[in-house]
Amino acid sequence: MITSASNVARAEPICGMDAWLPVPARIEHIDQENFNTYTFRLRIIDDAIRRMYRWAPGQFNMLYVPGVGEAAISISSDPDEPRVLEHTVRVVGSVTRGILDTGVGGVIGLRGPFGVGWPVGNEIEGKDIVMVCGGIGLAPMRPMVYYLMKNRDRYRRVILLFGCRTPEDRIYIEELAEWEADGRIDLLVTVDNASGDWAGPVGVVTNLLRRVKVNANQSAVLVCGPRVLNRAAAWQFLQLHVPRSHVFVSLERNMNCGFGRCGHCQYGAKFVCRDGPVFRFSDIADIFAKEEI
Amino acid sequence: MSDVKSVAEQRWFLPKSSLGDLVRKLCEQGYTVIAPVRRDGVITILPITEAADIARGVADEQDGGHYRLHDDPEDKYFRYSVGPDGPKRYFFPPRQKLFTMHVAGDRFEMDTVGPEPPKYAFIGVRPCDLAAIAVQDRVFGIASDQSTFRCETETYYQQTRLQSLLIAVNCTRPGGTCFCDSQNTGPEVTEHHLFDVAMTELRGGFVMRVGSDKGRALIDELPVREPNEAELELEELRLIRAREHMGRSLDPQQARDALAKAVEHPRWDEVAERCLSCGNCTMVCPTCFCSTVTDSSDLASNKVTRHRQWESCHTLAFTYVTSGPSRNNTRSRYRQWLRHKLSTWYEQFGSSGCVGCGRCITWCPVGIDLTEEAAIIAADRTLTTTHRSESEVCS
Repeated sequence: MITSASNVARAEPICGMDAWLPVPARIEHIDQENFNTYTFRLRIIDDAIRRMYRWAPGQFNMLYVPGVGEAAISISSDPDEPRVLEHTVRVVGSVTRGILDTGVGGVIGLRGPFGVGWPVGNEIEGKDIVMVCGGIGLAPMRPMVYYLMKNRDRYRRVILLFGCRTPEDRIYIEELAEWEADGRIDLLVTVDNASGDWAGPVGVVTNLLRRVKVNANQSAVLVCGPRVLNRAAAWQFLQLHVPRSHVFVSLERNMNCGFGRCGHCQYGAKFVCRDGPVFRFSDIADIFAKEEI
Repeated sequence: MSDVKSVAEQRWFLPKSSLGDLVRKLCEQGYTVIAPVRRDGVITILPITEAADIARGVADEQDGGHYRLHDDPEDKYFRYSVGPDGPKRYFFPPRQKLFTMHVAGDRFEMDTVGPEPPKYAFIGVRPCDLAAIAVQDRVFGIASDQSTFRCETETYYQQTRLQSLLIAVNCTRPGGTCFCDSQNTGPEVTEHHLFDVAMTELRGGFVMRVGSDKGRALIDELPVREPNEAELELEELRLIRAREHMGRSLDPQQARDALAKAVEHPRWDEVAERCLSCGNCTMVCPTCFCSTVTDSSDLASNKVTRHRQWESCHTLAFTYVTSGPSRNNTRSRYRQWLRHKLSTWYEQFGSSGCVGCGRCITWCPVGIDLTEEAAIIAADRTLTTTHRSESEVCS
């Protein structure tokens, strides 16, 4: 469903539903990823909406627990298989706790998909793709990994650098092993603090850059992590002379509406929900390094 | 074309004693008439049923953090400028139901029916507030097709707006915090404003002109006569005089450019020392549109209602995410408000977010004056570029 001609991935909005009104979706399956992170597989109950529902890598939904509230959660499954709709959620607040408590078979609300996702198509084709993720930041990147795997011949190297606090913080552990075994992407995983029988790299994820050769003019860099990682990673790639128009960063903000109406997610002149969450670095360069924007 | 022009230039005169006819006529036509009323020590905008309800013989005195009403020897209706509230809350209610929902197994039984959008007729809307309505029209997408989303809940704004009647009044006595002249939004209603009828108050009555077919039709129903030469001259004189009595001024282009560059500036620290983060400026602003959506559940009926209510970017919770608020301090929150209002608003909606009404100055408890803050930053010659060099990107 991703049109290869488009520069940025943006699905048709809303698939006929009202932008403010959640539609019911059943939790079909829950996978526990780590001590506080779960992947929820959802099924939109209304047949017509489910059939029309499409999204692009990097887009998000507003997930709603009736009586509790909403949270903006990125979609982490394969956009080419829209019948499987997955969200990987760190259960740390009242809404995410509510989603978990709803349990398999329960019904939550969903609005979306919203936002502009990762670049696909002409924009990045023929390039090395370097993805840098920290912690739960791998979740919004997973649809992109699927997309790149499916269209592997259109890209040169595909590199995924993934960093976590500890080995126990990793998510998608089985899939990481599959991707590594598959050999079509270069996967490097590092942890800040080694524990257990961890034998891999130790240190922040940007340290992994020492282990890969980046072709500055031939790369597109996609970054998703906490703020400190976004900054450090963007900085490192700019130092390697990757053009700022080839660096993409996914941002996290408070969101109430999802379509540029409530004002909460403003980042300079941008509405992160509508103009992002994925931004080209050159479009936000004037404020990216500033505190408290 | 010449017909249109002559209508736009045509003037009528409504004797003061006939203002009651106007109110009556509007009530007869099914309008809820909203007009300035003196209440609780302020001029506020409320439903009225007769002309006697409209504040009269009162003038206001406004300055930074200062608002007083006093009886005025000139027994006129519109000697005051804007009070704390404007028409905004009638189109974009401070608290509005999005939907009530009942979870019935697999289904959400949605009740999206809200109150029937009233038919409002506003009397005495100031040019700055007309400009503010146009700004909010762009925000809520009725002036453009910017939003590609279907939004049934937004029909309330659209419906109340489109069926409203705006009877504007030209300002002949601007307040101490007014700066509409420099924002090109007042003190006189021009062809750039959206309005139905505009009036200028003289001692004996109102010089009126029309801005729409609805307005023209209304005039036909009123006991108007042609104004005489002296009345037209007096009107012109009063409007010229009004421009000379602006309490403040702000160069919008200069402010826009300077604030685009001044992401970092020592003035933000200085203003943060005074700002209380109370959010008053956002609550009185006629263009501020931020809102928060909350759930309230009814234990008895198993129903959940989601409300949207006005929110202020000055609160800590406004930007809260799991890792904490994005804007932790007063400095960054005031900076967001001012840069948004005077600068980034252009990129979002094609105009300034400020119409020069001065409410945020008057109603700031400590009298912070955005025209002063913007001017100080704009006067800083060291502001050269918006973009930091790459070597500064991550410190």
